[in-house]
Amino acid sequence: MLKITDLSARVAGKDILKGVNLEVGAGEVHAIMGPNGSGKSTLAQVLAGREDYEITGGTVTFDGQDLLAMRAEERARAGFFLGFQYPVEIPGVNNVYLLKAALNAKRRAAGEPEVDAYEFLALIRQKMKIMQMSEAFLTRGVNEGFSGGEKKRNEVLQMLVLEPKLAVLDETDSGLDIDALKVVSAGVNTLRDPKRAVVLVTHYQRLLDYIAPDRVHVLSGGRILKSGDASLAQELERRGYDWVSESQVA
Amino acid sequence: MNTALSPAAPAQSPALRAFAAQWQSRPADALWPVREKALQRFLKLGLPTTHDETWRYTNLRSLAAQSFVDAPRKSRSDIDPEQPLSLLGRTEPSVSLLVVNGHPVMPAAGSLPDGIEICSLRELAGLDPDTLRRFLEPLSDADQQRWALLNTALFLDGLYLKITGTVSVPLLILHVAAGDGADDISYPRIVIDAAPGSSATIFEHHVAQGEHTPLNNSNTHIALGRGARLEHYRVYSTGAGATHLDSLVVRQDQDSHCKQFTIALGGGLVRASLEVRLDKPGASLDSYSLLVGHGDRHVDCVNIVTHGAPNTRSTQTARAIAGDVSRVIFNSKVIVDAGAVNAQSQQSCRGLLMSPTAEIDTRPQLEIHADEVKCAHGATIGRLDPDMLFYMLSRGLDRDTAQSLLVYAFLADVLTGMSVASARASIENALIAQLPDSQTLQKFR
Ligand SMILES: Nc1ncnc2c1ncn2[C@@H]1O[C@H](COP(=O)(O)OP(=O)(O)O)[C@@H](O)[C@H]1O
Ligand SMILES: [Mg+2]
Repeated sequence: MLKITDLSARVAGKDILKGVNLEVGAGEVHAIMGPNGSGKSTLAQVLAGREDYEITGGTVTFDGQDLLAMRAEERARAGFFLGFQYPVEIPGVNNVYLLKAALNAKRRAAGEPEVDAYEFLALIRQKMKIMQMSEAFLTRGVNEGFSGGEKKRNEVLQMLVLEPKLAVLDETDSGLDIDALKVVSAGVNTLRDPKRAVVLVTHYQRLLDYIAPDRVHVLSGGRILKSGDASLAQELERRGYDWVSESQVA
Repeated sequence: MNTALSPAAPAQSPALRAFAAQWQSRPADALWPVREKALQRFLKLGLPTTHDETWRYTNLRSLAAQSFVDAPRKSRSDIDPEQPLSLLGRTEPSVSLLVVNGHPVMPAAGSLPDGIEICSLRELAGLDPDTLRRFLEPLSDADQQRWALLNTALFLDGLYLKITGTVSVPLLILHVAAGDGADDISYPRIVIDAAPGSSATIFEHHVAQGEHTPLNNSNTHIALGRGARLEHYRVYSTGAGATHLDSLVVRQDQDSHCKQFTIALGGGLVRASLEVRLDKPGASLDSYSLLVGHGDRHVDCVNIVTHGAPNTRSTQTARAIAGDVSRVIFNSKVIVDAGAVNAQSQQSCRGLLMSPTAEIDTRPQLEIHADEVKCAHGATIGRLDPDMLFYMLSRGLDRDTAQSLLVYAFLADVLTGMSVASARASIENALIAQLPDSQTLQKFR
């Protein structure tokens, strides 16, 4: 599904990613953990196609295609989805219109007809129910005036509507109370199937109580320093990230 | 025929000589002294140059060489009915009045809704020159209003609208500019006289037909009586070759309210001035400007709002967009006279640059001579937010669609202020048609 080989990237003259290797297979859920500033969001944004980041080396293939050669919108239409750590507010652009445009862009790219208005509304209502979002979100601007938790729910809602092959969720759990965490986790879990994959970027073990990962990686200083199964997350929770860096040096 | 000008005001450029010659052909009616005074003053000031404070950004030098002549008087049958001219949808009940090159085509008797009476200015000049005279005197800063002075001197005809009650349907004044030659000039003039307690919605829509669009030196004078309410729109939709010098003057009595929209969608060079006097307590103004530049269009908007009495309130909301090599200027000024205590004013201008070669200049100014006032102003000019753009791209939207959506959102503060749904829809349509990927965008509405 996703194969990252020796990926390096820099921004504003600063090397952030320094040779990332990661392979995610279909049907898998991976977690990427790591201290603040280690490059997790940079990795997520680079994968999504943000142009501010300069790729200085390496390759990424997604579903057999050269991901780095595609523009951001092409990646999205090919089934890549990024759940932003800080979803931006876009006042004046209606939340639902954006979703509809996104879905139609994807359908057009796949040679499918555009969704009709009635069908779309039914779809979005169903997904909003899963995310326990009120109808009020239908009429508001994209993330406009949403609380932190509401923004995260909205990210997952978009993911559910777009049904990506690969979703990278960047700290979608941060700032959520336990009830919201359960809702968001339930949303993500509905997308788990043998043909899709999810990469969770997170600081906290607690998300992984609800979404069991197949693999856990520690990203630090722009590299994956350690990988393991779900038990690695628990160990990190107990021993902190310093343990990884130290054991790596040792 | 008027007597020759005094030698004290020698006409120097071909343009000034032409204006003087036009004056010779004007009727010597009861308004002659006011109009002559205006002409003298205009000729003395001459054409504005970029040394004039409020003309810094707009160079009219090329006009000086033109030997202007009056644009032809035309009738309804000269106007191509196929061209979609109406700003209001067909479903919106409305009344429209046609003005061609400044000459009104008078509607059949009985076709006007309750609460409004109209008369041509030519007729009014004969019947009731005193009433008309009240609307010919320039406001405070006549130097700024020099094109209004020229209009005062040289207008041939126009419309006087007396609002006597509540007018339940919007009134559309369709200004058609249709010249016969490259040196044509027209002087459309509208007077809106709103009686105390009356209310109305009036559109002035400027369009052009045919190969030659006359230089349009238009002027509208609005007087709102006590407690009167008016929503007024002026919309410029002429072509890239058109030059438009438009002055709007609003004088407001106690507790009157004016909502004013200035919308520049077309025209090659548009200079739109707005001068408002809130002369009596409780008078309030909400002005909105939506200024769109692309190609090599030049849009220059100047607002002056004077608070001349206590408890007056004004807001000015301007949104400017400039693409290609266009230039958009928005200068606003609020003056609070001594004694205008508790005046409140707000000026907000936001500019959006769509290309590295476009330019937006904006300068909100405040001149306060009273205590206890609340005046705020702000101006920002920027580009499309890259985070917003990337967010939309990351959802699969085309770059053009994403950009257009952001532009559209940027204009929302002005668009949402419009009360007439069909007008808003057609203004949005016209705007969207100018944005990239307009087809997709249409589906968003
Ligand atoms: N646009 C940017 N400009 C400058 N520095 C950046 C930019 N984006 C990220 N960085 C820097 O890159 C490093 C990694 O950041 P980030 O990827 O956000 O880390 P994480 O998500 O792991 O907390 C940090 O030092 C951050 O300051
Ligand atoms: Mg981060």
